[in-house]
Amino acid sequence: MSSMREIKNRINATTKTSQITKAMHMVSAAKLQKAERAIKNYRPLPERLSRVLSRVLKSDRELSHSMLEAREEINKTVYIIVSSDRGLAGPYNNNIFKAFQKHINETHDDNSEFEIAALGYKAFAFAKRNGYTMIHDDVIQIRDDVQFLDFRQISDTFITGYLSGKFDKIVVFYNQFVNTLTQHVRSTTLVPLEQNPLLEAEDDDDQTYRTIYNYEPSAQSVLQEVIPMYVTNLLYGMILEAKASEHASRMTAMQSATDNANDVIESLQISYNRARQDAITVELTDIIGGAEAVK
Amino acid sequence: MQMVVITPAGELYNETVDYVVVSSRNNGDFALMKNHAPLISAIDVGYVKMVRSQDVLFTVIVNGALEVQDNVISVVAQEAHVGLNKDSAMEHLEEVRKARLEENRKRTQDFLKAERKLKQSIREAKASKR
Repeated sequence: MSSMREIKNRINATTKTSQITKAMHMVSAAKLQKAERAIKNYRPLPERLSRVLSRVLKSDRELSHSMLEAREEINKTVYIIVSSDRGLAGPYNNNIFKAFQKHINETHDDNSEFEIAALGYKAFAFAKRNGYTMIHDDVIQIRDDVQFLDFRQISDTFITGYLSGKFDKIVVFYNQFVNTLTQHVRSTTLVPLEQNPLLEAEDDDDQTYRTIYNYEPSAQSVLQEVIPMYVTNLLYGMILEAKASEHASRMTAMQSATDNANDVIESLQISYNRARQDAITVELTDIIGGAEAVK
Repeated sequence: MQMVVITPAGELYNETVDYVVVSSRNNGDFALMKNHAPLISAIDVGYVKMVRSQDVLFTVIVNGALEVQDNVISVVAQEAHVGLNKDSAMEHLEEVRKARLEENRKRTQDFLKAERKLKQSIREAKASKR
């Protein structure tokens, strides 16, 4: 059995750890609230944009855009992996990486068939570790106070790459935020948009469809401008969801770490009490033995 | 008429206006007055001049879509800023963008430096061997 001092030191160390994890839990809870607010503020934008888009598309069935049609031959796919910058977030990053690797093993024979865009330091390190080709050289961090501007440049790279034919498909791996306890790993095809449910969101019976719109300068040129914008906004929405998931995951992880630390402290306290009792018993036996010897 | 400007960060502007003038690099200028026919337009880089009695405000926009229906003008923009003057508003928008990108660059550098230092300290402490 360890000495009393050793047990006391372990109790102190575990108490300090539990204080840290408790503080991290509270910080994550506050950040989660902010992230949820950011999602709420962002929501009207894709709704309105998809409404505009579906109106333009339904005004003329002949309208087309290369981002709306799947290419017959997919030579190069870009996978955008959205992770966190820092660890201690439970299985948050590992779940994405596992799902991604499973997908890669099932769909690709060779690593040259795809490229990675890593958003967040952990995804960057993962891609480097596994020797995947990346479309960018620098780390793209996802700050807690995430802003649209942070991903503008990289989004433009995806879009110009797709439009120029460098990439044929863009898929995003991210954690979808359901609630504080539940986050699901999702893989969504960002481009081409053909199966995007948002574009079909409005019902044909809706009165607004009977409104005839004028287009300035033309429906096709509006489409050319709006579709890339819509895609970048969809990606931004996924990043916001991922950020909220990260905070929720970290919050849950820190809560269970605090609970575990408390359990450890409790069992150490029992060991400490037992050791103390043993020491007292030994001392008493010594005293009694001594007294007996004096007689 | 109601004028609404929405950005990824939320609603930027929601007020009544007498009329607006939309100016963009791709479409040139056009004005929207009360009871305008339903219209959809895209703005690459430009501004919307909003006039209410004697007051004039400018919303500068980088990548946006504009929809007019039932006297409501909705502008959905990726980047937007409202100002008294279109040049100063655009300048402000560019300054904000520049400052943010610079801050991001610095933060990434600091983060990588700290990460390297941490790994070095772990190696030196031989923590994994204990």
